[in-house]
Amino acid sequence: MDLSKVLDCINNTCISCVMQLSIVDMECVVQGIIETQHVEALEILLQGLCGVQRERLRIHEICLKSGPHLGTVASEVRLLCDLEQAEPSWTVKHVGGAMRGAGAEQISVLVRSMVESKTSKNALRMFYTLGYKLDHELLRVGFSFNFHRGAQITVTVSSINKMLKLHATDEAVPVTPGIQMVEVTAPATAETYAEVASAVSSFCEYLAPLLHLSKPGISTGVVPTAAAAAASLMSDGGGTNL
Amino acid sequence: MQAPCCRRAPPLKSSWRVPLVYKIERKRKENVSLSLPASMPIRCILHWQPNQGSVVNSQVLNEISQCVESLNGVKEGRCKASLTFYRPNLRDQSVTIDFPRDFLGISMLEQPNKYYFIIRGQKIVLEADSSILLIMEKLQSYKSKVALHFEGVLYKLGDFQMRVIKVVPSQAESLRGIMIEIEYLPISSVEKSKQILEEFIDIWKEVVSKKSLAGQFMHTEPNYAEYGLSDNYTSQHTAVQYAAALAQLIQSAQLRN
Repeated sequence: MDLSKVLDCINNTCISCVMQLSIVDMECVVQGIIETQHVEALEILLQGLCGVQRERLRIHEICLKSGPHLGTVASEVRLLCDLEQAEPSWTVKHVGGAMRGAGAEQISVLVRSMVESKTSKNALRMFYTLGYKLDHELLRVGFSFNFHRGAQITVTVSSINKMLKLHATDEAVPVTPGIQMVEVTAPATAETYAEVASAVSSFCEYLAPLLHLSKPGISTGVVPTAAAAAASLMSDGGGTNL
Repeated sequence: MQAPCCRRAPPLKSSWRVPLVYKIERKRKENVSLSLPASMPIRCILHWQPNQGSVVNSQVLNEISQCVESLNGVKEGRCKASLTFYRPNLRDQSVTIDFPRDFLGISMLEQPNKYYFIIRGQKIVLEADSSILLIMEKLQSYKSKVALHFEGVLYKLGDFQMRVIKVVPSQAESLRGIMIEIEYLPISSVEKSKQILEEFIDIWKEVVSKKSLAGQFMHTEPNYAEYGLSDNYTSQHTAVQYAAALAQLIQSAQLRN
């Protein structure tokens, strides 16, 4: 069906013209790793720092890439299925490139574009139909803390698991047994990223005895002081005021 | 003093009006307890199909609006929706891989934070936060081909609401189609509302036929189950209906050309 014969054709119309969007589309992020044996101590520390209850985390993450002929450049989109909900909920997430330049070098967190959208259950089927292909999938199991401390900060502590069979989340096995991933993220805009980055950096200092957090891709390994710090936290039940 | 646009038309004295009012009242009492509070009231969309050789114009639109007013319809406000056809952004235009040819996006004024995608061939409907548009723009895998606006006037008729909608291209004023949206407020079940909507549509068609216009309203209800939608009416049902009605409009336009 050639629609252009029936309707006035409007080429190259920017999608965002359809609807004026005013959304946060950047995030500040740092990552680190911690041994599973010290996760309980980290949880005690986070509980004391955040003053909120932890939320359980069980997210099936599906990474899709555009087929070979689709788009002027290859693109990648992530579909997140929250399995903790009674009715699994879906989110489509696009993570863009990191901010570059002298300003980016001087801050200790990675600032990148990020957009997410909650969707109904057909997201995976739709993207497959549009010509996207499964690149990889993983299951994150752990917990998160969401709180406000100079910025809206989320700390996620999770075990990263791979599926041996397609979408078989019940049979997932850890990618790095004995090691868990810690991620600290905070939404930002082009105007606020400097203050948000500063708030994230300040918060990360409190976690320094247990783990070192840095820009994604820059691995710093586990912290030598982690065992002693964990023992201290466990012995006094996390009662120390920081 | 009441604004002229809100003035009620005198009630029709035709014999069929009394049974309709009775039926509406009876149905409302039967079903009001069955409708779920979180659901949307049921809607159905009819599209105007002009006779062979005739065209859609503003005169027809005005006549149809008068028909609604003759049913004591009171203007309540305006409504708007936008529909965009997307096409794949291919690196090599000679590639003949089978990408969907009927990939649509719909936004509705009443749901400003939501966006709906439909792929009719595969019977897929997706509801998403409007930020999905920004994601699609960043992915650059599909781009807008044609954008249409559905602009209309909302009328209230007791337990019913009607929207008289004109279909216009986004960068032109030319009228491309007319649609009517009928909403029955007390019920949100597709199945339970079937009979009362059919009765109302019959009456509506009878009113329109008295105008001797060169065309008629058509109603082809999509099979919602094929889209994985339940009996409980939602905005996704509305999006599917918009897509179906537009496909019919295009088909009838092609047959006339």
